[in-house]
Amino acid sequence: MAKVEAAQYGDRKVYSVSAFNRGVADWLSRLPTVWVEGEITELRRQERWASVFFTLKDPGDGACLSVSMPRSQFDALRLDLADGERAHVYGRPELFEARGDFRFRALSIERFGLGDHLAALERLKRKLAAEGLFERRRPLPRFPRRVGLVTGNDAAAKRDFLTAITTRFPPARVVVAETYVQGPRAAPAIVEALGSLCEIQDVDVIVLARGGGSFEDLLPFSDERLVRAVAGCRVPVVSAVGHEQDTPLTDLAADVRASTPSLAARLVVPDAGELRERLEQTRDRLHRAPLLTVERKRARLEGAHGRLRALSPSATLERGYAIVRREGRIVRASAEVQGGARVDVELGQGGFGATVEETRE
Amino acid sequence: MTFEEAQKELERIVQQLETGQADLDDAIKLWERGEELYRLCADKLDSAQGKIEELARRVEAVKPSEPA
Repeated sequence: MAKVEAAQYGDRKVYSVSAFNRGVADWLSRLPTVWVEGEITELRRQERWASVFFTLKDPGDGACLSVSMPRSQFDALRLDLADGERAHVYGRPELFEARGDFRFRALSIERFGLGDHLAALERLKRKLAAEGLFERRRPLPRFPRRVGLVTGNDAAAKRDFLTAITTRFPPARVVVAETYVQGPRAAPAIVEALGSLCEIQDVDVIVLARGGGSFEDLLPFSDERLVRAVAGCRVPVVSAVGHEQDTPLTDLAADVRASTPSLAARLVVPDAGELRERLEQTRDRLHRAPLLTVERKRARLEGAHGRLRALSPSATLERGYAIVRREGRIVRASAEVQGGARVDVELGQGGFGATVEETRE
Repeated sequence: MTFEEAQKELERIVQQLETGQADLDDAIKLWERGEELYRLCADKLDSAQGKIEELARRVEAVKPSEPA
């Protein structure tokens, strides 16, 4: 590294423009090469220039970066780039010393359209699937002690979820972790929010809620870090991200997928009205059960009694038979008595005393 | 004597009478015993039913009204 010389004017150290630029350029040259993503704008290429120039613009906030690339290298890529196209540019920052212009020196450029993006996501999806990250389907707790909610800070998703959950199950307790849900900071922020909810001991289920958005908006939910965090979460995770047609990778890693935050609420808490109704039904059955038992026993008892009645000796006497007793013992044969014996005759209605006149064989 | 014991004995008596094996004296004794057991069981059932209905009435009286 060249030493940057400064002139000394009394107690003041002063650099020449050239020395200052060289010093800064030297600093910049020590930064690593990186990939930068943006939209190509103001592409300038002329046969007599040694380099091609363009501006890389951040589609999010419009931040700009001047980029240059040697024309021969640019031409060799045969990219035929047009203004507005998304690209990944590999290079390093540099200072054009003669003019003090800061810019990004491109070493390579790759067009990065929607198709490329989807292809990259698809590769990630296959890799994570091969690791078995998309196979977790744990059952949700029936009565979660607390429900963790990760959502944006004033998101409609949050309101929808909270409304749905308190309507369905008023005693539900929800811990909300607000975080960024889009942009480059979102993925690590959501991972952190997830982690902080996991640390709360009685959180039994976590819901990731975010309303629908553009493909770009939902990108954090396909971030590898977040997908891994969801797959490794201590408690079951319900993913309620975007609309039905979007499938961010967190959806695949989550235990349950809900198409909207309101539907997620229906999944994580039971319906209090339904529970009450069931309880009332059970109570009614409880009240009816003993009477049913009594009735069943009574029917059985009456059955036995009916049979007993049919066997009743009085029923037989009613039909015209009589019982003859002598000294309290039933007389079954004429030989048991002799003429003149006192006997007692019992009839269907009453009875009478009698004396035996004669006996027959 | 419990209800179940009485009921069992009653059914045994009925069975015994139905076979026609018992002689008349025994039959009458058995029959009387059967009637006695029947009354015992019926009384027990009546009192159980009364208790259940009484409890149900009391529960009904303290049942909270449905929120409007």
